[in-house]
Amino acid sequence: MARRMYWILLTATVVAGLLLSSCAPQTVTVTVPVEKQVTVERTVEVTVPVPTSRGVVTVLGVWGGSEFEAFAASVEPFTKETGIGMAFETSREQATVLVTRVQAGNPPDIAILPQPGLLVDLAKMGALVPLENIVDMDQLKKDYSQAWIDLGSYDGHLYGIWFKGALKSLVWYNPKAFQEKGYQVPTTWDEMIALSDRIVADGGTPWCIGLESGAASGWPGTDWIEDIMLRTAGPEVYDQWVNHEIPWTDSAVKRAWELFGQIARNEQYVWGGTTGVLSTNFGDSPRPLFDTPPGCYMHRQASFITGFFPEGVTAEDYDVFAFPSIDPQWGVPALGAGDVVVMLNDTPEARAFIQYLASPRPHEIWAARGGFISPHRGVDPNAYPDELTRKQAQILASAEVFRFDGSDLMPAAVGAGSFWTGVMDYVGGKDLDAVLQAIEKSAQDAYK
Amino acid sequence: MNGIRRILARFPLHLAVIVICLIWLTPTVGLLVSSFRHKDAVFATGWWTVFRIPMDFAQFRLDNYIQVLTAQGMGRAFLNSLTIAIPSTIIPITIAAFAGYAFAWMEFPGRQVLFVIVVGLLVVPLQMTLIPLLRLYNRVGLAGTFLGIWLAHTGYGLPFAVYLLRNFFGGLPKDLFEAAYLDGASPLTAFTRLALPLSVPSLASLGIFQFLWVWNDLLVALIYLGGTEKVAPLTLKLSAMVQSLGQDWHLLTAAAFVSMAVPMLVFFTLQRYFVRGILAGSVKG
Repeated sequence: MARRMYWILLTATVVAGLLLSSCAPQTVTVTVPVEKQVTVERTVEVTVPVPTSRGVVTVLGVWGGSEFEAFAASVEPFTKETGIGMAFETSREQATVLVTRVQAGNPPDIAILPQPGLLVDLAKMGALVPLENIVDMDQLKKDYSQAWIDLGSYDGHLYGIWFKGALKSLVWYNPKAFQEKGYQVPTTWDEMIALSDRIVADGGTPWCIGLESGAASGWPGTDWIEDIMLRTAGPEVYDQWVNHEIPWTDSAVKRAWELFGQIARNEQYVWGGTTGVLSTNFGDSPRPLFDTPPGCYMHRQASFITGFFPEGVTAEDYDVFAFPSIDPQWGVPALGAGDVVVMLNDTPEARAFIQYLASPRPHEIWAARGGFISPHRGVDPNAYPDELTRKQAQILASAEVFRFDGSDLMPAAVGAGSFWTGVMDYVGGKDLDAVLQAIEKSAQDAYK
Repeated sequence: MNGIRRILARFPLHLAVIVICLIWLTPTVGLLVSSFRHKDAVFATGWWTVFRIPMDFAQFRLDNYIQVLTAQGMGRAFLNSLTIAIPSTIIPITIAAFAGYAFAWMEFPGRQVLFVIVVGLLVVPLQMTLIPLLRLYNRVGLAGTFLGIWLAHTGYGLPFAVYLLRNFFGGLPKDLFEAAYLDGASPLTAFTRLALPLSVPSLASLGIFQFLWVWNDLLVALIYLGGTEKVAPLTLKLSAMVQSLGQDWHLLTAAAFVSMAVPMLVFFTLQRYFVRGILAGSVKG
């Protein structure tokens, strides 16, 4: 019996050997003589290892299209001065790609992350290089507010430099339409609700809200709730909520949802009714602002939304006011987001690149191209193309109370999962307590 | 009379085929129409609205195509895609043809077990292999090289290719091979002179499958090759045209048809092989 097994094994090995040797060139040429030779020639030509070759810094980011062009322009002076080129990879599946490459031991030199949560995950894995000895810390403390430095740090080490920022606590409106009807920019929540009622009485629709965003549907609603939380419960309670030190069923959280629902679930307040809110893409949703007569009068969205405005809309067609205060004691805090630059391979090229990105120059180059605000305080305000962007950048860099987009800080199962779907369910008409209990349940697993 | 009756009898069948085709094609037609519309029109109204005034040619524009085709590095990306896809199609099919023939017609112990193992690999999700394989590639310096991605695609394509070809070879008449052996043919001669020429249709369909899979692949290229300008295939290049929050997605409508062009060409060149009778005239009887 054993002898038989031995023979089977032996023949198996031989067969395997035959299969392998069958790809030797001599047999291959029999089947496809011409093409085969051509491709073999190519192998020789291109097997130059692309990553981590000298004089190049490899960067993985989520920027594509004109965003990438703007970033490339910002890096151009660096390449000219140092001779170090940038090999930029765009991937919108960045988290997946990055974690896979890190685990396989093949990370890019630099990554630009849209979420600080990913920075923390990578730092925990030991994949990031601390930056204290690479950048001038004294200068950095002058250039960035403590809030931004803390967001780029983990466990006492600095891991990230913030590059591109976004200010979220903004309400966009069409000043011409406001003027025509004699509407005033509201400064408190109550004024905003009164204005909404007045618009309804005049036969208009006050708000445009769009929650649809493919697999990420619901996120615009999370920004609403976060902004309201900051204004009704204050930054400390906000932090507790983000860190899950208070449950989702807490009365403070519930109140924020209810205030959101006061607008988003009111069929008369929103363009297209709640069905419109659920099914309109967030990028398309501000468009009715610019229709004649306006389909809606106000739109709460981050600074980047100007990139989605229809062609032909100029800076005179829109203006912005800060999302108003609700509870006077908490004033008007700023909610924001941004992209953080982290270093995964400690090479001289990567060090030089990080130092360059910490200087104001690349920020100013992109700022001049528009659609960009920087949390860097050293950036010359004149670099921004218009007054509106300048105002936003100022708020972002120097807001007394600044908080990062909470859903980006929460574990993905909540911040990019049950929170999103919860918003959709709630606007869709589901009972608030049931929604909050469902999120709380997923949070209890996620925060373990 | 007879002819009319036959047409009438077949009418329900034809109607069903046409209806299914229409349903099947609707999304693609929508995509095609959208790709010729102006950005603002795409955002403002649905593609079907063009049929209200179909003769108004002013509503069709080539802007999206021009923007996609003139994007920097597009030619390079096309070349990269071909450099990846052609060997990644030829290598696995070549290996699978040898293996399939051996599994079908050569007697050796453990044949069934080996075949079951190969077929079993069909259910292994390729995502599971990404990290270990990339780690191996880093060790031996294959990460970021075209050779590396050829081998990866070969590995991912082989189980299905072997399975398909073994079943095809197994279906050839036994008499054919017995006749060849009587005439003194070695297994290699029987393979190259008999089995291969007869299996052109299945090789061609396998070629199309594999080519399409490699051509449309984004994940494998992203992981093993990376998305830098020098090596990025068309899929990566096109996906990078959309900005981080999905701005400019309207360009993807045109991009889809640009990237579809090559597989369509491959399909129509290989298509005539399907039409040919598989075993026409091989054995009399």
